[in-house]
Amino acid sequence: MDEKKNEIKKALNEIVAIVYITKDNAVFEKKSDFLTLTLTAPNEEGTIETKTYDRIYLHRAFPFDNPFSYISVLDKDNKEIGMISDLSVLKEEDAEAIRSELNRKYYTPVVKSIISMKDKFGFSYWKVMTDEGELSFTLHDTFHSLMKVDGGTRIFITDIDGNRYEIPDIEALDRKSFKKIELFL
Amino acid sequence: MENRKLLTARVCRLDASIREEDILLAYGFDLLPDDSRTRCDGIAVLLKDRFLLYLDSKQILSLPLEQVKEFIFRQGIGCVFTEYKDKDDTEHLLCRADMQYLNTFAAVIKEMNRHLEGKGIHYEYEEELDRVCPKCGRPYRPGSSICDFCVDKKSYLKRLWEVAHPYRWLIYASVAMYFVIALFNLIPPYLNRVLVDDYIQADTMPELHMFVAVLLSMLGVQILSRILGMSRSILLILAGNKVVVALREMVFNKIQMLSIARIAKRTAGELITRVSRDTSELTGFITRDLGNIIEQGVTLIAVSIVLFAYDWRLALMIILPTPIVMYANRLFWSFMHKMFHKQWILESKSSTVLHDIFSGIRVVKAFGMEHRETKRFNAIIEDQRDTSIRNEKFFGVVNPILSFFMGVGEFFLLYYVGNKILGGEMTIGEMSQFSAYVSIIYGPLRWMSSIPRRLVRLMTSIVKIFDVIDEEPDIADKEEAIEHKIEGTITFDNVSFGYNNTTNVLKNISVEIHPGEMIGIVGKSGVGKSTLINLVMRMYDVNEGALKIDGIDIRDISQDSLRSQIGVVLQETFLFSGTIYDNIAYAKPDATRDEVITAAKIAGAHSFIMKLPNAYNTKVGERGHTLSGGERQRVAIARALLHNPRILILDEATASLDTETEKQIQDALQQLIADRTTLAIAHRLSTLRNATRILVLDKGELAEIGTHEELMRRKGIYFDLVMAQRQMSKMSPKNTEEGSQKEASANA
Repeated sequence: MDEKKNEIKKALNEIVAIVYITKDNAVFEKKSDFLTLTLTAPNEEGTIETKTYDRIYLHRAFPFDNPFSYISVLDKDNKEIGMISDLSVLKEEDAEAIRSELNRKYYTPVVKSIISMKDKFGFSYWKVMTDEGELSFTLHDTFHSLMKVDGGTRIFITDIDGNRYEIPDIEALDRKSFKKIELFL
Repeated sequence: MENRKLLTARVCRLDASIREEDILLAYGFDLLPDDSRTRCDGIAVLLKDRFLLYLDSKQILSLPLEQVKEFIFRQGIGCVFTEYKDKDDTEHLLCRADMQYLNTFAAVIKEMNRHLEGKGIHYEYEEELDRVCPKCGRPYRPGSSICDFCVDKKSYLKRLWEVAHPYRWLIYASVAMYFVIALFNLIPPYLNRVLVDDYIQADTMPELHMFVAVLLSMLGVQILSRILGMSRSILLILAGNKVVVALREMVFNKIQMLSIARIAKRTAGELITRVSRDTSELTGFITRDLGNIIEQGVTLIAVSIVLFAYDWRLALMIILPTPIVMYANRLFWSFMHKMFHKQWILESKSSTVLHDIFSGIRVVKAFGMEHRETKRFNAIIEDQRDTSIRNEKFFGVVNPILSFFMGVGEFFLLYYVGNKILGGEMTIGEMSQFSAYVSIIYGPLRWMSSIPRRLVRLMTSIVKIFDVIDEEPDIADKEEAIEHKIEGTITFDNVSFGYNNTTNVLKNISVEIHPGEMIGIVGKSGVGKSTLINLVMRMYDVNEGALKIDGIDIRDISQDSLRSQIGVVLQETFLFSGTIYDNIAYAKPDATRDEVITAAKIAGAHSFIMKLPNAYNTKVGERGHTLSGGERQRVAIARALLHNPRILILDEATASLDTETEKQIQDALQQLIADRTTLAIAHRLSTLRNATRILVLDKGELAEIGTHEELMRRKGIYFDLVMAQRQMSKMSPKNTEEGSQKEASANA
């Protein structure tokens, strides 16, 4: 009976236990263009083990409202190795490497102002000034392409190709830009 | 996006050592491979033996292909990557681009890997990517063959006219009526003048019978005009509805012909909108707006002519301020439109919340969240109330003011006319005629400022409708498609398939299934089991390789002939609204009652149907009797059996049944499947104990194939699956029938 209980407990552990990656148990290293991770953590049997992952993948748990906390670290089979609860729990240079890797994967230009917006046939055509210059994009079903976060002041836009744009503070936009987007908020 | 030829030419200019014919593939990218957000102008080039990268016209990388094991396509969020794996399995980043390049990257990387494997490069993908508008060069939006920028509105109106052509006499007649009515409208003011000047204000005693005659003609004009109005409306409603029904049929037939792939791109709601709302937008225009435009236009012109003929200065005084009036009106309404749009959004928000709460009322109550939901709803309707009050207040204050200013011109007119009357140049009757004309003319002017908006709405609907009608079915019968009586051999010949070109769901599947075999398909969820059977039903066409039935390529068999010989029971059964009988007889409407009952008996449905008060006449589907999941499933099985198919497909068909019923149906099916090919997907492996062979899929590939015994001996994936399921039943409290029932419900 005890054996069975243990078995169930083990199975449960496997499912619910979160492995937190911190500066105490993890060493990140840059290999070629990507990061490797050497992690000392309990394995499935529950014994402590040090293992090196040749390439790791990062995925944000809360990409909109908490982009630099709760970052899932995955191995090449998309299996979660562990989670970084916040970049501050890592060594400075590791945090920097993770931040850079995240910025590379999540490409989101920041919109500074809206130059023009045209609504036509259920599509809207935008021209905006971003932190990397002028960009134009098209939205299908404009109202649903805007995602509001932080109580509606931060906006994420997804265009028809799947590109993302961010307006960090809608109230900080100049009046002319605000008027163009106001109708869809 | 620049295409390969342009890029090739650019690379040759940059680097004289490269000849045009050396370049196998070339594609652009626009982001630096590091984490910066800066855009760049990059070109990636595949030569026979090297891969090159150019960044802002400088070569930054020359990679010999012998170092490359595989090119990898990877998707980030908002960007895509090209990577490669070297011979030591270390991965490297090559280039990055925004999502516009998604399809290019995916397709090109596939071809580059073909090159690495020593296979030739297919350039067909370029046709897909090069789907750009020939006029402006902008790419079409996905799933459409219309460029929103260059859409030729005239051509659409012309095509609409083609649809309306059979009913043209109705339309001509009603248009003619509009002319007549507009002209009729000019008569009453004239008669009014005659009445005032010649009789009421007459210096001499007028003759009574003439007076009565004028009155009677006024009455006559009124009656005639009403009768004309009525017949005009009837004519227009006839014409409008006939055109719209014709359009609706065209749209509906087209949607039915499209493949699942195309239909899946749109939601059911969107399709319903296309068929019903967009077309009724058209009815509205034809029956209401079109007539108004004609009538008001004719009135405007006619009244202007009369006015100018009478006194051009007076006419100018009336006509000149009209552009200002129209402009002011338009400004006002565009502002109001914005305000009311906000109100409309709030309204739709509150109805969304209501829908949410009421459809989730069990959850709300179960978690005791009534108060929070009440608060949420209250917050929204209060917001709505405030906006509504603000809007109405504004409208209430501004509208009268605006109307006043719009009417101000009439005061000047009164002054001018009054002077003339005092000077004896004009009579009171003439004045009344004029003011009547003025109000007639201002009516259409005010109304006309809203025409552009209506036209835009109409065009939007027309474009959307023709967008669907023009769509070319991607799974079409070949001209020489044959009718084929299926024996039951299914051959997968190196089949690869993906729903989009970024990832292949099925890779290099090769297997031959013989007539009469029962094949079990197992594997983890998401490995492509359902995809495999979708291909057999030809819901999609294979990307590579060939799928053959009795040695004939499935693309050479007509879809009607194919599907009429395939029976399907899906995981999610759908019952149409109608009786149980209708639902079973769906695929064979001419079935006899005995046949239907026999099918129901085999499917194990007869016994529960007979327990219902109305038995086979019980209404099901929306608003009908609710059947349980297992009951619905049995009806669906009966439906498939009655169809008497050559190939029977069961996709988790018995998953929601308890083990005992499942066994019953299995045994019954056993009789039936004797001479037909059966493909069955199942998670619960016990379902497949009658299978002749079992296919095990893993990551889109055919991992194992063989009988149950063979696979158990192999101790591979299937063995693990069986063991895992046995362990599950061991862990259940009692290892009895009850235990496996629990397992069953856990699986379902």
